[in-house]
Amino acid sequence: MVVDRIPILSVITFLPLLGAVIIAFLLWERPDLARWAALAAALLTWLFSLGLLVGYLPGDQTGGFQYIEQVDWIPAFGIQYKLGVDGLSLVLVVLTTTLSWISILASFGPIKERVKEYMVSFLILEVGMIGVFLSLDLFLFYIFWEVVLVPMYLIIGIWGGPRRIYATLKFVLYTLVGSLLMLVAILATAFAYADGHGGSFVNAFDFISLRDYAATAGFSNTLQLLAFAAFFLAFAIKVPMFPFHTWLPDAHVEAPTAGSVILAGVLLKLGGYGFIRFALPLFPDAARTYAPAIIVLSLIAIIYGAIVALVQPDLKKLVAYSSVSHMGFVTLGIFIFQAQAMNGAILQMVNHGLITGALFLLVGVIYERTHDRTIAKMGGLAAATPVYAALFGFFMFASVGLPGLSGFVGEFLVFLGSWSYNPWVAAVACFVMILAAGYLLWLFQRVFTGELSDFLRGLGHHLTDIRPVEILTLTPLATLVVVFGLFPGLILDLVSGTVTSVLAGMNGAVAIHFLPWQ
Amino acid sequence: MIASDLIIVAPLLAAILVAAAIIVADLIRPGNRTLVLLVSFAGLAAVTVLIWRASLNPGAAFDGAYTVDALTTLLDLLFVSIVALTILFAPDYLEPRRLPVAEFAAVLVFAMSGAMLIAAATDLLVLFLGLELMVLPGYLLAGYAKRDALSTEGAIKYFLLGSFSSAIFLFGLAYVWGLTGSTRVADVATTVGNMVSGSAPFSAGLAMGLAFLTTGVAFKIAAVPFHYWTPDAYQGSPTPITGYLSVGPKLGAFALILRLFVGALAAAKADWYPIVFVLAAITMTLGNLVALTQNNVKRMLAYSSIAHTGYMLVGLAAYAGGRIEGLEGLLFYAAAYTFMNLGAFAVVAALQRRPGVTSQLDTFAGLGRREPLLGILMTLFMLSLTGIPPTAGFFAKFSVILPAVEGGGWLTALAALAVINAAAAAFYYLRVVVYMFMREPVGEDDTSRHSSLVWTGLWATTALTIVLGLFPGPLLTMVSDAAKALT
Repeated sequence: MVVDRIPILSVITFLPLLGAVIIAFLLWERPDLARWAALAAALLTWLFSLGLLVGYLPGDQTGGFQYIEQVDWIPAFGIQYKLGVDGLSLVLVVLTTTLSWISILASFGPIKERVKEYMVSFLILEVGMIGVFLSLDLFLFYIFWEVVLVPMYLIIGIWGGPRRIYATLKFVLYTLVGSLLMLVAILATAFAYADGHGGSFVNAFDFISLRDYAATAGFSNTLQLLAFAAFFLAFAIKVPMFPFHTWLPDAHVEAPTAGSVILAGVLLKLGGYGFIRFALPLFPDAARTYAPAIIVLSLIAIIYGAIVALVQPDLKKLVAYSSVSHMGFVTLGIFIFQAQAMNGAILQMVNHGLITGALFLLVGVIYERTHDRTIAKMGGLAAATPVYAALFGFFMFASVGLPGLSGFVGEFLVFLGSWSYNPWVAAVACFVMILAAGYLLWLFQRVFTGELSDFLRGLGHHLTDIRPVEILTLTPLATLVVVFGLFPGLILDLVSGTVTSVLAGMNGAVAIHFLPWQ
Repeated sequence: MIASDLIIVAPLLAAILVAAAIIVADLIRPGNRTLVLLVSFAGLAAVTVLIWRASLNPGAAFDGAYTVDALTTLLDLLFVSIVALTILFAPDYLEPRRLPVAEFAAVLVFAMSGAMLIAAATDLLVLFLGLELMVLPGYLLAGYAKRDALSTEGAIKYFLLGSFSSAIFLFGLAYVWGLTGSTRVADVATTVGNMVSGSAPFSAGLAMGLAFLTTGVAFKIAAVPFHYWTPDAYQGSPTPITGYLSVGPKLGAFALILRLFVGALAAAKADWYPIVFVLAAITMTLGNLVALTQNNVKRMLAYSSIAHTGYMLVGLAAYAGGRIEGLEGLLFYAAAYTFMNLGAFAVVAALQRRPGVTSQLDTFAGLGRREPLLGILMTLFMLSLTGIPPTAGFFAKFSVILPAVEGGGWLTALAALAVINAAAAAFYYLRVVVYMFMREPVGEDDTSRHSSLVWTGLWATTALTIVLGLFPGPLLTMVSDAAKALT
């Protein structure tokens, strides 16, 4: 089939870049065409990623990588251009490409100024995100990780809300500190590998070689502790884990709608992916050492996010804090080192991307009409905009974790896994479902039920119901939420190979005792 | 003087002849910009060809005082490109202010010949000669806008501190000569090696000499706390000259460090390692911290160039800590820094083509709307200076941090400090991007076009910034050869 004959991974990664170049150079005079070109590029990338999905299924599913592309890039340091896909990467890449075209479509209405710059930024962002998920060389991974920063910085900073400069600088600086420390850790790891191979840098940045080395000889305790800490910082800021989450509410609130969708839908997953793909296999002993602390931080994030969401006056900020809470399940599931929990964590990543992405789209719909996100000013929308209310209700229940919709399965698997780890952990996490129901149902009641508020009545005929284009952006997400709610096996079958191989690497791991009293 | 010696020093002689030719051309046809530029670029092209020819037959001249090796070639090529790019960017800025272009070009080429002399010097006195030949035209250039009080002030500060530091440096050289009885670098290296290994009695003179030499050199590269002349000299100078000063004399001073500390005093590495380590740490940190507070882009770039000196010193510290890759990192960083910094200053100069336009951040406000292409190029240079992939600046930081991490122990801590500084630096580099794309224009529009010279130079620096980031291979080979030739 065609995906076996072309370098499909490079195509998927760089097709958006081609679109960006076309817009920048050929369509500079025609901004009206720029958005269609961007949408075409994103759709084409999406189709190729679906083709990859079809091509991947018949192959090896036991945690190995398929469609590996490898070219020597900087032989002096052993750096290669190496891409490869396994179940986890595949699922996240398809999530990325889906959310990308949906976000671009959702940007057609709100973005009216400097459209071509926006589209170019968005497409470059897509290149970075896909590249992160597909890189098998640590140096290349780092490059794509940083490439994600600048377009996001521009998208928030130019097309964002009133406090956008503060929000975007906070986002960039926070992320940069974490990722630069990760660079030092990457270098230290490559050196340790080179030292173990007689000073030769061949394959020193190759993930597969490093993973095998970590599994057989293992990196030294000091290196593991420090390097894992650096990787942890970079990924924890991205996820975001408590207490590194403070950039998130500002960035989400000030970003334009599509920016929030891609930020919540994909960028946060970069952190979770990084933990599973790099931090755990390369530094298993350090992971086991830090796991209790990370589990505690995850629990705090789950509860804290929910409690703070409960008291938010701003609709978008409420959804942002609910993100912190949902992503807490992801890190909890990962660091329990148990198959069901990790499967649940990955599922939760996908679900959160779909559901919270949709919630941000919905918030964007109402913001387009009211230009005000204050919850207190709203009320009674169900009567005025029934279709919108129905969709919002649907995704709200998905976010609460109603069984039958996809949000439930991920969280349930994490509970199951954490119960076998420690029943109290599961109890605490479970308690949050009540809080989630609390803030979401209360939100729905305040915004949609009751009498139409004075503010909304004052908008008159501006308060239209959801438009067909907006429904078009939500439909794929709604479909997937239902499908994955009823058939989660579709994702679990793909990722279980990765989970098994990561946990196999964790089996021999022993916690390092570095504190004086241990 | 025999014929073979002359052939080896041909690039240097050609450089001096080019400078003279520019002056003569201006005497024949005063004020003819085209002729001056023609002579300059033809001359620089000839010098480049001679450099390449010389690189094919590496060797020494004048009884070992002048050596052509891989390091000489790399540095010479960098110096020629610095001067070529500066001459591209300058006329657009100088002519509206009625400052002569011909003298500017000639003085610049004289400075280049001084730098080329340093790059090839394997004798202490020749080294000093090259140093002075390089910096004296620099003082002149700093005060080029002679009717501007700021320019004169900056030039006087630069001149006074520069002369002072040259004197200190010479004093240190005198100590080293006194110890060894010879001014040849090779002889000094042997004597110092004997002293360190214990086969010769240790002399306190070595320590004194090292102290004076380090101080003198630290002034030249503007390491903290010897950097105080930099912000005023950079801010006062005409912008293209600031661009030149931030890369040319700095690269020349690093060439001096390489020839002297690595060529002659390498055996005493363990002695000057702590000094370099501390200098690197405080230079990076102070440069970044003060740059955070600047509202004037030229002054901000001045402090940022101090910070970049710090990063380059990390490479030197890594070498002193035992990793030769530190030298490679230093040279790669110097090359990448040259192009990205020149590019940034070129944009500032282009915006200041009308006399009276300041280099405050307000000048950049709304540039994304007024001149989008210039805004995008400036963004690229800012990103490269921050060290965001896939630019040359990122790979430069990578190549300097790599050996530091490899060195282990304290050096790894220095590497961590370097990356934290890089993250902090993002704030003031990205602030320029904020002004360009996220603020409204201030003041009225200047609709005059930039000359094709400026655009040629901008595209050249842009291309190099991107290419060195994506395909650093060829430059990595060159710096590796240069480092091996030196050690």
